[in-house]
Amino acid sequence: MTQRQTAQRFRQRKLSTKQNLPVVREHEVEKTTAEEDAQRHIPRVETGVEKGEEIEHHLQAVISASAAAAVGGKVAQIYIPTPEAKASSVKYSDLYPRQFQQPATYIRFSSTVEDCTGTPYCMTSEDEAWLKVLNAKRERGRNSIGPCSEDAFEEVISFFEATAQTKQPFAAVDNPPVIPYDEMEDAFDDTIDPSARAFARDIYSHWKAQRVKRGNRPLMSNLKFETGQETDDADPYVCFRRREVRQVRKTRGRDAQVTEKLKKLRKELEDARYLVHMVKQRELLRKEQLAIDRKIFEQRSEVKKVKRDLGVKGDDEDLINQKPVPKPSKLKTDATIAQRAPGTILRPPTRPDGRPPDTEIVLLDDQKAEKQRMIDRSVEERITQHQNWNVGFHDLTWRPLTPPLEPSNNGFQTVIVTDHALPSPPPSTEDDMDVDGAAAPSKPTEADEPVEPSDSTPTTTLAPKALRSSTPLSYLASTPAPSPQPLYPEAPVLSFRTRIGRNNRTWLDRRITPSTPTTPSTLLHPFSNLFNASKAWHANHSLDSDLDFVVADRMKYESDNDEDDGEGGFVRDLLYPVDHYSDESMRLRSAFAVAGRRDSVGQAGPPGQQQGGGQGPGQGGGQAQEGLLVAPRVPQVVNASVS
Amino acid sequence: MAPREVDHESAPSPAPVEKGFATLSTLRIGVKVFVEKDGEERKAEILSMQTRKGKPTFYVHYEEFNKRLDEWVAAERIDLNREVEWPAPEKPDKKKQGAAQSKAHPAKADNKIPKGQKRSRSQVERDSPATPGITESQGQGKAPEPSKAGGKENRDGSVAVISTVVEDGTPKPEDEEMDLVDVQDAAAAAKAAAPEIYSREDEIEKLRTSGSMTQNQTEISRVRNLNRIQMGDAEIEPWYFSPYPVEFSDEDMVYICEFCLEYFGEEKPFHRHRSKCTLLHPPGNEIYRDDYVSFFEIDGRRQRTWCRNLCLLSKLFLDHKTLYYDVDPFLFYCMCTRDEHGCHLVGYFSKEKESAEGYNVACILTLPQYQRKGFGKLLIAFSYELSKREGKLGSPEKPLSDLGLLGYRAFWQETIVDLLMEPGRTDANVEELGTLTAMTTNDVLHTLQNLNMLRYSKNQHVIVLTDAIIEQRERQKEKEKIKGKKSIDSERLMWKPPVFTASSRTWNW
Repeated sequence: MTQRQTAQRFRQRKLSTKQNLPVVREHEVEKTTAEEDAQRHIPRVETGVEKGEEIEHHLQAVISASAAAAVGGKVAQIYIPTPEAKASSVKYSDLYPRQFQQPATYIRFSSTVEDCTGTPYCMTSEDEAWLKVLNAKRERGRNSIGPCSEDAFEEVISFFEATAQTKQPFAAVDNPPVIPYDEMEDAFDDTIDPSARAFARDIYSHWKAQRVKRGNRPLMSNLKFETGQETDDADPYVCFRRREVRQVRKTRGRDAQVTEKLKKLRKELEDARYLVHMVKQRELLRKEQLAIDRKIFEQRSEVKKVKRDLGVKGDDEDLINQKPVPKPSKLKTDATIAQRAPGTILRPPTRPDGRPPDTEIVLLDDQKAEKQRMIDRSVEERITQHQNWNVGFHDLTWRPLTPPLEPSNNGFQTVIVTDHALPSPPPSTEDDMDVDGAAAPSKPTEADEPVEPSDSTPTTTLAPKALRSSTPLSYLASTPAPSPQPLYPEAPVLSFRTRIGRNNRTWLDRRITPSTPTTPSTLLHPFSNLFNASKAWHANHSLDSDLDFVVADRMKYESDNDEDDGEGGFVRDLLYPVDHYSDESMRLRSAFAVAGRRDSVGQAGPPGQQQGGGQGPGQGGGQAQEGLLVAPRVPQVVNASVS
Repeated sequence: MAPREVDHESAPSPAPVEKGFATLSTLRIGVKVFVEKDGEERKAEILSMQTRKGKPTFYVHYEEFNKRLDEWVAAERIDLNREVEWPAPEKPDKKKQGAAQSKAHPAKADNKIPKGQKRSRSQVERDSPATPGITESQGQGKAPEPSKAGGKENRDGSVAVISTVVEDGTPKPEDEEMDLVDVQDAAAAAKAAAPEIYSREDEIEKLRTSGSMTQNQTEISRVRNLNRIQMGDAEIEPWYFSPYPVEFSDEDMVYICEFCLEYFGEEKPFHRHRSKCTLLHPPGNEIYRDDYVSFFEIDGRRQRTWCRNLCLLSKLFLDHKTLYYDVDPFLFYCMCTRDEHGCHLVGYFSKEKESAEGYNVACILTLPQYQRKGFGKLLIAFSYELSKREGKLGSPEKPLSDLGLLGYRAFWQETIVDLLMEPGRTDANVEELGTLTAMTTNDVLHTLQNLNMLRYSKNQHVIVLTDAIIEQRERQKEKEKIKGKKSIDSERLMWKPPVFTASSRTWNW
């Protein structure tokens, strides 16, 4: 009993790692006389150093030093001595140029060493000497190829090495003869540059000599890997062995699964290969096509020259590329299918939900057209509905209903401006002459421009002309050689009306409506309007000024339809950045108004006939330009009081 | 306590060491001679002999010095006026080796016997020869001494936690030696027990299954094969053997590209390579960046060449590293400093993709040209930062090298002392400290014990922050203030623990 009590008194409890232990300073604990005793029941933790090394002199010195430090002794820092590492004498900056730029984000990188080091073979000093001799020989022989560069040399050697490796993978073991040159030549592929091939035969002799010297071993120093021989295991140089693969239980199901996987893999690889092949074919064809195109162009140039020399006129159809007739869409899809080479398996686009793909492909264009038709139909319906509703009434409310804006002509009378009726340039535009002067020289060149087979887009040629918008009316009109392509085929429609305002004043309202084509027919055949412009526009299209704005706005981006025709681009003009409130514009406008008024007074007769009287479209274009400048989009109602 | 004489008697050979005088011509491999080293004479074993420029030179290993100090010495430095120790005759050794190998398997099986009570592994290992292997060992006329073993058992009765290096547990014919638990004696025994005793098959098996990169014993006592290496702007003397191409051992200098770590035995190819190499940083993703260093994560499987090159390089400075198996199951975390030339590799540590034993570091190295600059601590800190992110406790794979141990001890001490010195901390438990620092309980215990901080006072254990330790830490902090503290900022770590599929884990790629 007593024995037990004493034992308990002296026995310490085991240290528990889970129990909270008070953290105290040294002065808070009594000095234990027997520290050994206190530590005895705390498990001795091993250092983790190999036992044989734990006793090493230097380590023990450091450990005892730090132990001494832990109990308060003053010890100088002790280091374990290591073999020296000193600064090298190499020119570091030459070997490692300053070319690293740290990106702002963390680097992400997955290229391997092989990707980053170019040709694997690096020439030795021996190679260098040999190459020097070779190049000197070539120099003397006046060889046309020039000296062999170090890069070419390495490329060829790398190729030889790689080929030897694939052809004689066990060269190190069974010592076959060095591969003959002919066999090497047969193996030439894309990895060896044609420029380097010229040296291949010379380099081969050197390579063979080196190879023979080494007992047909690879020239590059290699690590020793397993060769499957008995000696492998004891050889300390053999490294990086493959870890044995854990055997997976073999079952018939697994075998089938593996076969399936391999089959699939093979098929996919073949598909990919085929795809690449087809791409290559396509590009080759494209190349051919380009060559043909070029030939055609050259031939045409010839023809043109001959024609010009002989003075043959007309029949220029075959000098330009005719636009191919658009095929019906159905036919197109058939054609694409037919184009696919037989043998390719078309993989139907699989849908995520597993449903079969739609058999009929709906084209986006069809869809769009359909939609547009529906919208048009509904608008027309509304308009007629509104008209019916308003029958017998004269609607004077401002935009009674938003959508159906009815064409109405609130008493405006259209005036047609024609060139021969125009007076001489009004004095107020004289200061614009310099602008014209600057632009004028460009005109003849454009006029002389030969018609090229390439369809140069009219918009580009239009650009400089458009700048001339401030050219005085008459000047343009009297230009003898108008540009070959009509710029603005339609004249703007000028309309005027008189009305009685407050205090019985008489007002003359002027409105200029750009001849906005609103129907597809006018879009496609702008010329046709010239003949009946006045009548037709007067009747149908001289819209309310508000409507004018709306139409102009709506048509803003619709010009690309006729871009190809070479004579559209009219609506594009709406975008010209012209300040309508600048002095010049206003002056021009008033001048124009005056001219127009005079004209309308003088030419009250049949305006349509005058317009159609054999006028070149170019002249009309010039006028249109003027008109546009005045009122591209904002309705201009100039109020001039007529007393 | 085992008497020291016993140790001596049975050291490398059962027969007493044969001593005698020798001449230059009679010197051979295995002879222990006195060699002049840094002004004093030390006993050294001749590991290799060569004739250079007509003069014999000897590759010697100094006793009780690390192998990295092994060197070639000229005959003049060998003191032939003193007696040399002749190596033991080889025959009995071989016989023993066979015995050891045959015994290895039963011993292994023994280790796996479920332990009913809380017994230390070391105990089991010590006991093992007494069970199935006993007949064999008796057959050799070397019966275990139960009295001694029993004594040890009493002494270690309360051992709760102990880490062991399993290799040491393999029973050896010299059973007495296995009872020497006293560190010094045990170490001497391990040393004496020479590499041959170790079963190579077992070891390779262990390498394979554990994924460990630990060097195997038979390769430890190898002659260094490279003379000098040139890397970046430094010229370095290698420390240990590394399986670079065999031809390289003849070269005076091996050139290593700083970025792709390719190796060249000659200057010309190296220069040619430099003109072609476009790599400017380790070929992986940057996962950490601060003003001082960057860390790159590299998958051994995806960057096989680079990682092999790295392993070859680091093997020059790590003794207990093996390149026996490939690098696939490891991730490499490389620390770099940056300038306009590129990202210079300073050090790295490798980590198993899946460590069965909870290691967070397999091999760790600061390149010699960057040593003693505080980079090692950063590397260690980073490895624990990763463990914290993983939510695991980690410990470096054993065995540690001497430098590794010191590095880790310094880091552990700093981390734990800092934690304990936090204002307002009145108590702490070992596990909590572990959780906060991602250190294993064992390592925390090791540190506390090593610093003499675990005491028994007033009938309970306490953690004592001794004055010396506090003072030491204060001094360190002063230094940091002057030099600027380098630490890892966990905010800047952009990393999620990588996940590997079941197939990649079984190495069945």
